[in-house]
Amino acid sequence: MGDYGFLTALILGIWAYFSIIGALAGWGTAEALVSGFITGLVVGDVKLGLEIGATLTLMSLGMATYGGATIPDFNTAAIIGTAIGAAAGGANAAELGLGIAIPVALFMTQLDVLGRATTTFFMHGAEQALEKGNLKSLEKWHLMGTIPWGLSRGIPVFLGVLAGQAVIDNVVNAIPAWFMHGMRVTGSVLPALGFALLLSMMNLNKNWPYALIGYALFAYLGVPTLGLAFIGLALAFIITKNRGGVANV
Amino acid sequence: MSNERKLDQATLRKMALRHNISLQWSWNYERMQALGFAYSLIPAFEKLYDTNEERVAAVQRHMQFYNTHPSMSAIVFGAATALEESYATDAAESIKIGLMGPLAGIGDTLQSVLMRPIIGVIAAGLAAEGSVFGPILMFIAQFFWFAIRFPLFNWGYKKSIGLIGEMVGEGIINKVTEIATILGLVVIGGFVPSIMARVKTPLAYTKAFEGGEKVIAMQDVLDGILPYMIPLLLVGFSYWLLTSKKFSPLKTLLALIVVAFVGSIVGVL
Repeated sequence: MGDYGFLTALILGIWAYFSIIGALAGWGTAEALVSGFITGLVVGDVKLGLEIGATLTLMSLGMATYGGATIPDFNTAAIIGTAIGAAAGGANAAELGLGIAIPVALFMTQLDVLGRATTTFFMHGAEQALEKGNLKSLEKWHLMGTIPWGLSRGIPVFLGVLAGQAVIDNVVNAIPAWFMHGMRVTGSVLPALGFALLLSMMNLNKNWPYALIGYALFAYLGVPTLGLAFIGLALAFIITKNRGGVANV
Repeated sequence: MSNERKLDQATLRKMALRHNISLQWSWNYERMQALGFAYSLIPAFEKLYDTNEERVAAVQRHMQFYNTHPSMSAIVFGAATALEESYATDAAESIKIGLMGPLAGIGDTLQSVLMRPIIGVIAAGLAAEGSVFGPILMFIAQFFWFAIRFPLFNWGYKKSIGLIGEMVGEGIINKVTEIATILGLVVIGGFVPSIMARVKTPLAYTKAFEGGEKVIAMQDVLDGILPYMIPLLLVGFSYWLLTSKKFSPLKTLLALIVVAFVGSIVGVL
């Protein structure tokens, strides 16, 4: 059994549940820094929560959930890592917490995929409600779509905090090395889906030259993002201006 | 086409709240934000149509695949609301299809790629020193993107009203879409390699030279041919599955997971 009681595990599980729903609403609740801080408050070690949150945030910069892509879940990792680190205490608390947090962040990618897939069932529920002509029921299905999202974060946090370090260590150690490596590769490969979705929405077949310009600027000249945005903006205005037939706006 | 205003302020406020908070609450791989969008339009349909059948049919029209940046979506939703209000239903649907891709590109670029890393470095620095302002700054920076949804909704709604019935309107929408598409594609073209730079091959082989052997990393060979070749191939493969093979996003995702695992077990990735 771990170092925390049922109540602490439940409180952190509830925070994990609502933090992802808040993030879906756009409130920045599922940030490693925010969750590290909140967890620090709950377990009585704010400094550690801030430290772990800061380290995980730096790891997450440059990762974006493009078009619904999955990235390592640093938010859930910050909660579990801070709780486990604080329980151990001492000089190595942060190191230990991060040692747990990083495999958790990777493992959570699988649960993120599961959550996003399970919600499809609620979409079908809404469609059936529509066929029956019941809009009230459709509204309920939509709001209930938060349940798989919340549970996919809440349950692992509750169980992880309740079980404690020894159990998590055993689980992490029981995962074979090839699987861990596979998960790491998966985490870095999955953004391809988001990009492909965006490109398919933007009619790449017709507009491929612009994407090629962006690629060449970055790959051969190392132009940073802001530079790409300026070039793209200038190009867009030059091209739309030089084509007649459009009213000047 | 009537130009009568049927939606009062209270209804518009209710709709903006629904969209701005709950658009993504039923996000799923199959239609993504479609249900959230349809759900947010219901208060308008209750005012615009008298019978339940008509309302259900109107909601049905908005159940098609939809996904964009949630803050930018407020503009699309505002415009779609105004168009629905004037019973310009075809325009309401096509504005969604036309704008979602380009706006997703712009929104994701501004928020996740420009703002978050800059703020994130500052906030993480503060937090590492033990300052509570770290998490507060991070939260406020993200919350800003939520707060702007309300003015963006109003802007989309007003702009759209001004465009209805004028042929010029289509010109403006096309122009905005085109600007957004060009800008978005240039940026995405650079992002694919920058965000996926970590995807590399560990393969290496030994080559005999005069006077010894040399280990040659396969990644260097690939970089010599085409930088970031593997990320490009992966995006190309996903794009091909989505467009030519008509795979759903979920199936494409599973295919990518298989590729990643098989590649990592074989030692290619």
